[in-house]
Amino acid sequence: MRRFLKLPFVWMFLFFLVLPYLLPLIKGYTALASEILIYAMFALGFNLLLSYTGLASFGHAAFFGIGAYAMALTQLKLSDDLWLGLLMGMVAAGFFAGIVGAIICRKRGIYFSLLTLAFSQMFFFIAFRWDEVTGGETGLTGLRRPPLRLPGLPAVSLTEPMAFYLFALAVFMVVMILIWRLVHSPFGSVLQSIKQNEVRAKYLGYNTVFYKWVSFTISGIISGLAGAMFLLQQDAVFPTYLNWTESGNVVMVTIMGGGVVNFFGPILGAGIFVILQNAIGAYTEHWLLILGLIFIAIIMVIPEGILGLFKRTKTVQQ
Amino acid sequence: MPSGIDFLSQGINGIVLGLLFSLIAIGFTLMLGVIGIINFAHGVLFALGAYFAFTLRNSLGFWAALIISPLLVGLIGIIIERLAVRRMYGKDALFCLLLTFGIAMSGEELIRMVWGKLGHSIAAPAFVSGSIDLGFMLYSKYRLLLAVLSALILFLVWLFLEKTSYGAIVKAGAQDSEMVAALGNNISRMRTLVFGIGSALAGVAGVIAAPLWSVRPGMGNDAIMPAFVIVVLGGIGSFWGTVIGGLAVGLSVSLAVMFFPRMSDLVMYILAAVVLLFWPRGIMGEKSILED
Repeated sequence: MRRFLKLPFVWMFLFFLVLPYLLPLIKGYTALASEILIYAMFALGFNLLLSYTGLASFGHAAFFGIGAYAMALTQLKLSDDLWLGLLMGMVAAGFFAGIVGAIICRKRGIYFSLLTLAFSQMFFFIAFRWDEVTGGETGLTGLRRPPLRLPGLPAVSLTEPMAFYLFALAVFMVVMILIWRLVHSPFGSVLQSIKQNEVRAKYLGYNTVFYKWVSFTISGIISGLAGAMFLLQQDAVFPTYLNWTESGNVVMVTIMGGGVVNFFGPILGAGIFVILQNAIGAYTEHWLLILGLIFIAIIMVIPEGILGLFKRTKTVQQ
Repeated sequence: MPSGIDFLSQGINGIVLGLLFSLIAIGFTLMLGVIGIINFAHGVLFALGAYFAFTLRNSLGFWAALIISPLLVGLIGIIIERLAVRRMYGKDALFCLLLTFGIAMSGEELIRMVWGKLGHSIAAPAFVSGSIDLGFMLYSKYRLLLAVLSALILFLVWLFLEKTSYGAIVKAGAQDSEMVAALGNNISRMRTLVFGIGSALAGVAGVIAAPLWSVRPGMGNDAIMPAFVIVVLGGIGSFWGTVIGGLAVGLSVSLAVMFFPRMSDLVMYILAAVVLLFWPRGIMGEKSILED
């Protein structure tokens, strides 16, 4: 049991329990806290690929967006069930991540990044142009949050921000612990060896392309789940979710928090990003200028991210 | 079914567009091949070229804008390289990519602050307004000028790379920068210069694209994405690969407009994916240090 309940998780859980009560101090609100959790989930899934496998995807917003669209379409065409929607978000994102991964996982370095970008643009334009299914430029709106049904319990409405926040927290904790378990498993060690030296891992007999593909697909599935959760949060989905700037944001968020050197970096990055976006957006419509400048400053001054300052390298490089 | 004339006119459109795309991509691939960096700010530099021309043309005219705007953009490129990009050399390529991503983000917003959120259409210069009778069809004079200018500038880049001694140093620097430095060349200055030239090329592409696409703050995205695709298609750092890739993208986009107008944005990405299945490094690509 202790292996599952590591102390940082307990602290993090407690912190997130009080977060909705802290945010009003900086003009935040409960929905913002949910957004942080969802974005943190997305960034953690992305970081599995970036920091543990050493693959810099520049197209991960595509899988986030696919998850959101799949959830929306499930609700509109198939069924209103919460679990089915989330499952479809993960299946759809995993399916497309599996296909894209199969084509590009042999590529390395910048080439890999260029290709993820090209593929994500493909999905972006499909979402943007396929009016009949995706609603085109205007997206799909007017969706609703289905109630939470657990076996043996009465259905719980998630329409209240706090109820949805607690649900998001539960999903987030599960996802985070699963990723933690994954990167600290023998499978995770193989991934890290690929990052360190792929040729050597190959000579040791590991099918590195296959491992990279699995990592890419899992990362896509988590991104899809985050996207599906984001749909529930926003009650709408737009093609801009898949835009390359969104893909860039998640890379930046992961690096900014210190994801390269610390497992929890992406969570910190997501928190800062969502809060900054909200705070600067309240003062000026030119918040992208400020955000861009912050990104530039972070890359130039602390390229290892905020948690990189504390050099807690043990979590990634054991 | 489109008639033969439709094919011909869309084919010509495709070649014109392809030359413009090649011009957009050549600076991008030069930076990637020689310095080894992905410059996400290429699109913003392209947009700046267009906006400078938009401002300068009223007072100075088309030709002066065509010369001065790229020089200004080149200067901005040099400043960016000196202040920021050069600190990323030798680090993981991802950092430079993210740095230029930040520059692109704030650059686009700066354009919005200076020139406003709304787009402006720009008339073609008076001497090429209207169309010309090609015998079998009428064709926009400005598009022809655009094609000629793009081809001319591409030719100048080729002359520089292939026929000048400095071009030889630049190409050698892409292969083995340590050896080039050991032979007494200033690699640091060369990189600044290449970044400046690449930026100026983005700027000049922006100037001549402006009357065709009109100017708006997000126009850089219309340039950076084809540039990415062309590099993937043609092979990193290859001059002829870029020209072939540019023409392939231009032609496929133009022809797709006839058959599946709604999917014309998509076709270049499909093309890139298909080409990669057969030529893993692009059509003219060679094994690159960037794959490690």
